[in-house]
Amino acid sequence: MPPITRWFIKAGIFWFITGIILAFLAELPVHSAGALLLPVYWHMLVIGWITQVIIGVSIWMFPRKKRDRLKEQSKITVASFLLLNSGLVLRFLSEPFIPMFQGDSLITLSVIVSSLLQILGILLYIAEIWPRLQPKSTRKKKSGDS
Amino acid sequence: MPPQSIWMIRLSLVYLAIATVIGGLLLIHKAAPIHPAMWALLPVHFELAIWGWMVQFVMGTAFWMFPRYLKGEPRGNSRIATLMAILFNGGLFLLLLSIFDVYSAILAPAGRGLFLISVLLFAALIWKRIVSYRKRTGPNFNKKSGE
Repeated sequence: MPPITRWFIKAGIFWFITGIILAFLAELPVHSAGALLLPVYWHMLVIGWITQVIIGVSIWMFPRKKRDRLKEQSKITVASFLLLNSGLVLRFLSEPFIPMFQGDSLITLSVIVSSLLQILGILLYIAEIWPRLQPKSTRKKKSGDS
Repeated sequence: MPPQSIWMIRLSLVYLAIATVIGGLLLIHKAAPIHPAMWALLPVHFELAIWGWMVQFVMGTAFWMFPRYLKGEPRGNSRIATLMAILFNGGLFLLLLSIFDVYSAILAPAGRGLFLISVLLFAALIWKRIVSYRKRTGPNFNKKSGE
């Protein structure tokens, strides 16, 4: 399993545990933050956990463009990991506070930056995995040519 | 990788990109309102992320990676697999149209119905390929992995 896959899966497990803890806290009757936390823990589970595990495993299991680059770690996947997870951290730190600080420039900037980081992280993952989706015959031919 | 998996996974990546951009815009809209109609995109975001991305990616990958048959077509009937991919994406298309009130009373159940048929075809294709590692060494399965 390449290091980047381990990073994605470990980060996924971190968000999984955090998401479940928040979902538990949101159900407690001692506060009224349940509605504010709902989009936060849903995205922790769906992007932070499930999507990151899919990303990590596909980077590991999907055929490489060139067989001799089997162990080489792509810079695109590292950038994707860093952008996606920094975007998620920024998002989860700012999203619950939007109603309390509506119009505040710091919150607005934080939300915009987190949104862009997540989008870029996902687009970089797509850029990495897209060329790997090809029939075995095409892959062998390209491997032979290079 | 079979063409059905290639197309299902490619489409799932396209839907992931669209769902992420819509999700990003909705997040920004919460803090800095963009347009009053933005929230109409929320169900599109859900459907693309869950069905278009996650479910479709898993179906395409499973169809590719599960143990193959030794005799006949390695992954079962390829025409049924093609039909599975077409019905799934046709269902998603109808569902997305229904969100925008285009014949939604007809298109929403039609879309879900196509999903149901596609998933049943997927189950039928994959069922006999769900075997233990020991059984893979038997006469009906190919020991070689990957295509």
